[in-house]
Amino acid sequence: MSSFLKGNFQVKKDVSKKNETETKKNLESRFEQEALKHLGGSIAFVKKKKVDWNKKI
Amino acid sequence: MESPNNQVKTSSLVQSLVSQMNNITLNRIGKMTLENARINQIFINRGKSLAELRNQQIGQGESAIIMASGPSNKQHDPIIPIKSSGFKGALIIPESAMRYLLSNGVIPDLIVTVDPHPTRMIRWFGNPHLTEESLKNDDYYCRQDMDESFANELATNREVLKLLKKYGKQLKIAMSTSAPKAVVERALETGMEIYWWNPMLDDPDQEGSMTSELHRINELPSVNCGGNVATAAWMMAHAVLNKKHIALTGMDLSYYDGTPYRKTQYYDAMLRLADEKELSSFFTRIYNPHTESWFFTDPAYLWYREVFLEIAEEADCTTYNCTQGGILFGNNIEFIPLLQFLETHI
Repeated sequence: MSSFLKGNFQVKKDVSKKNETETKKNLESRFEQEALKHLGGSIAFVKKKKVDWNKKI
Repeated sequence: MESPNNQVKTSSLVQSLVSQMNNITLNRIGKMTLENARINQIFINRGKSLAELRNQQIGQGESAIIMASGPSNKQHDPIIPIKSSGFKGALIIPESAMRYLLSNGVIPDLIVTVDPHPTRMIRWFGNPHLTEESLKNDDYYCRQDMDESFANELATNREVLKLLKKYGKQLKIAMSTSAPKAVVERALETGMEIYWWNPMLDDPDQEGSMTSELHRINELPSVNCGGNVATAAWMMAHAVLNKKHIALTGMDLSYYDGTPYRKTQYYDAMLRLADEKELSSFFTRIYNPHTESWFFTDPAYLWYREVFLEIAEEADCTTYNCTQGGILFGNNIEFIPLLQFLETHI
């Protein structure tokens, strides 16, 4: 196809072809960001802790 | 059957989500929890502190069964052997298992609730104000595969209302201050005996932590929930009630192979992000060598599994997974049939 289509004018700004891998990574990252908004557990988890009875009790 | 070489099939997306799951969860429920705790202050005097539960006998001896509501309950009906064995230890359940037990005439020793969700949790307690109209806004109970009776929504709601009217006064509930007001009011209305506690949201020793803020509000003890109510129930058994032999049933943390995606917990959330055909990228498949079968799970359940394996390592009790399915197996968990547990821990 590229052998038939030839540019015949100059664009005002430089246009660079996006790297395909980079585009895919961006998509995955956006997808992940969206996923983060909607998924999650019921309640949090804290490492190395069981029960904190507190001093007053 | 020969074990497959690759026993976990997952994606980098899932791994990344699982690694961030605690932050995702905290971002979603942190403020809501603090808000609910402030609202619940008006009810605190109508219950006791969880600390008082330590002075009571909750089940005989040192054994307990945590009966969660996973899909294995349909396959194995664990209440049958528990009833026939005459098990005298503590029977501790998340609120989602209440209907299953009460409809079988079994009164649990302790119910646990923690999820602050504003509208969904009340349904496990029976919602006196449920209408056809309100059902149109949320199909969660229609889809979920924990207790499928809830798919027949109005009829089951009526049944739960009736069950709690009959048994409410005989029930003890470990009520997290994160619980929505509607759940607290419903528990009070049914005559349940409430034991209050705060869910640990972050390290209480850290300056300005949300957990410390909860304590400033109500001065109640805080419990590490491990991400979900079933793990919180297990924590109650070993760290609050000092039980040394704890069996788990219905703790699948996964779905049986072939379960439609629409029956999974986060289906609606996933569908906002991807087409039905692409949903498999959110799931992880895990081979259970004990049952010689495959299960699949979503990122939140996978996180629950990782957390449980981590805290089981530090626990001063023996944990027996008697679910007879699912993905919760590994070091520090004995994966045995329920009958075997009941033979040795009556």
